[in-house]
Amino acid sequence: MTAYEKTQQRNGWLLCAATMAMAALFLITAPFSAMAAPMQTIDIYGPSQRIVTVAMADPLGENGQNAPQMGTELNTLIRENLRFLPFIRIIDNKILGGTRLAGYTTPNIDFKRFELAGADLLITAGWVAPDTVQLRVFETLGGSLVVGRAYTDVEPDTLVQVADKFCSELMRVLTGRGEFFLSTLAFVKNEGENRNLWTVRPTGRNLKKLTNMNGIAMSPSWSSDARFIIFSHINKTSHALGVWDRRTGQTQRVKFPGNTVIGPTFMPDNKVAVSLAQHGYPNIYLLNHSFKRERVLEDSGGIDVSPSFDAKASKMAFTSSRLGNPHVFLKDMATGQVRRISQSGTYNTEPSISPDGTLVAFSRMTDQGFRIFVYDVLTGEERQISNGPGRDEQPSFAPDSYFLAFVSNRSGKKQIYLTTRHGGEARLVPTGKGEVFFPAWGNFADWGKSAK
Amino acid sequence: MYILKRFGLMFALMFVLAAGFGCSSKTVDTGTVPPEETPVATDELEAAEKNAIATITDGKVYFAFDRYDIAPEYKAMLNEKAELLKQFPNLFVRIEGNCDDRGTQEYNLALGERRARAVYEYLLALGVPADQMDTISFGKERPAVLGNNEEAWAQNRRDEFVVTVKN
Repeated sequence: MTAYEKTQQRNGWLLCAATMAMAALFLITAPFSAMAAPMQTIDIYGPSQRIVTVAMADPLGENGQNAPQMGTELNTLIRENLRFLPFIRIIDNKILGGTRLAGYTTPNIDFKRFELAGADLLITAGWVAPDTVQLRVFETLGGSLVVGRAYTDVEPDTLVQVADKFCSELMRVLTGRGEFFLSTLAFVKNEGENRNLWTVRPTGRNLKKLTNMNGIAMSPSWSSDARFIIFSHINKTSHALGVWDRRTGQTQRVKFPGNTVIGPTFMPDNKVAVSLAQHGYPNIYLLNHSFKRERVLEDSGGIDVSPSFDAKASKMAFTSSRLGNPHVFLKDMATGQVRRISQSGTYNTEPSISPDGTLVAFSRMTDQGFRIFVYDVLTGEERQISNGPGRDEQPSFAPDSYFLAFVSNRSGKKQIYLTTRHGGEARLVPTGKGEVFFPAWGNFADWGKSAK
Repeated sequence: MYILKRFGLMFALMFVLAAGFGCSSKTVDTGTVPPEETPVATDELEAAEKNAIATITDGKVYFAFDRYDIAPEYKAMLNEKAELLKQFPNLFVRIEGNCDDRGTQEYNLALGERRARAVYEYLLALGVPADQMDTISFGKERPAVLGNNEEAWAQNRRDEFVVTVKN
């Protein structure tokens, strides 16, 4: 029995253990007062997003004293995080009367100066002990508490974790989704003749190399429990399914008849969909938990590649050449019905379906180069959400179905950028030297050292 | 260049065949094979094998954009590769499918596989045993030349042939 199979068997009690661990964590970072229903909610999926203006007060110690040095650092990290949210604008340098408060909670907060400056929300940080901080978010109009969290045993090494958890909670309260700050991007980086797997937080932190193999890694995909990353691995003589295990740090290569492994992707139940060329042309197969072929998912007699599933695996988007040129198709997994969804252009590939199943992002070759488009599954309409310059490709939906990562060479080399399902400004995710490819989101926050 | 190689190969083959007939006639005449002549024949066979390897390796098949059908002008070259592979069953050829830089990576990996497979199937139809061949696609990951123009793209849409000698 492989480590992967054992993992599948253990998933049940691991889920229980994870739930208990989360419950323990919740006790430590629990809200410390009853929260009012927030008035400042944002529909991040709707056509027009409201901008919420946020101010940050200076961190304080007990009785209005100065906060420890970590207080300033934590505020900076929170500020950096919130700048990733297109629906939040920070105005903390424009407050008449300053951002120093008499206290970090009511009634010692003068909300009026923040309200007059146009702030909708105010964030306060109270360091009640050198290693314990209480973070609060108030509405400036009325002073009601929106978010309140306490974090204990805080150290310089765990400040990022505190900032991420707090920002995740704030985003969740405002929008209903907070996964962005609790996720990690896997990607492939070019290093001479080899390409290996790396990870980075979507905020650009904790850049880490995972594999050190000769050959080319492509198309990483996380398992739903974020323990494994599968990928295509191509050396001088063979294709293989690479399987990286986060627990051991080890990688294995699994070969298949036909010597072709293209675009593997984990399904929600941790089975795998992948293109193999068993009969001489690449079609999409379903592999079981032992990576053995279970059945054919799509076989058109042409090229069928790049499967992508929603969170329930009720739909599969994929690329097929069945009509001559490559186009994006959508398969209803219950009925088996397949329909073409890219109607324009002659080269549409690399689909990524949003986990909520409402949108399919893909890249299209246009006269200006490759651009990212999204297709609305319900309305059948499509929109262009990237504008180059250069070449925009490999879109990848985040777990919240709101953010997308994609690759662009607009800077002169291929790098990862973030945008949203609505498009808008693309934000670079720093990944160091070397060109990078294939961003893939994992529901796992790699902070390095763990905090309570 | 290609024609010169073909003539070179033909001369090499004729020389090997002539040497072979020479050996046969001497065997008939004397009833024994002169021991000093054996190394000469082996060397010539090795030379012929080297020429065969060079011929199979050198000729590449080029494709149109997003296509994997073999253009007619490559049929004669592939026929020659097939004959050499049948003549030297100890040779093994890996057909490597490649693409230009314009398409996307996963689709090109599949397209490269189709290109390699197209030649594999053609050689198989000509009688080359399956256990003398396999295929691999490198998609757009191993360009022959760098460049963002039709000349470079055309050189990168190709099948390459890597020959090894089986033990």
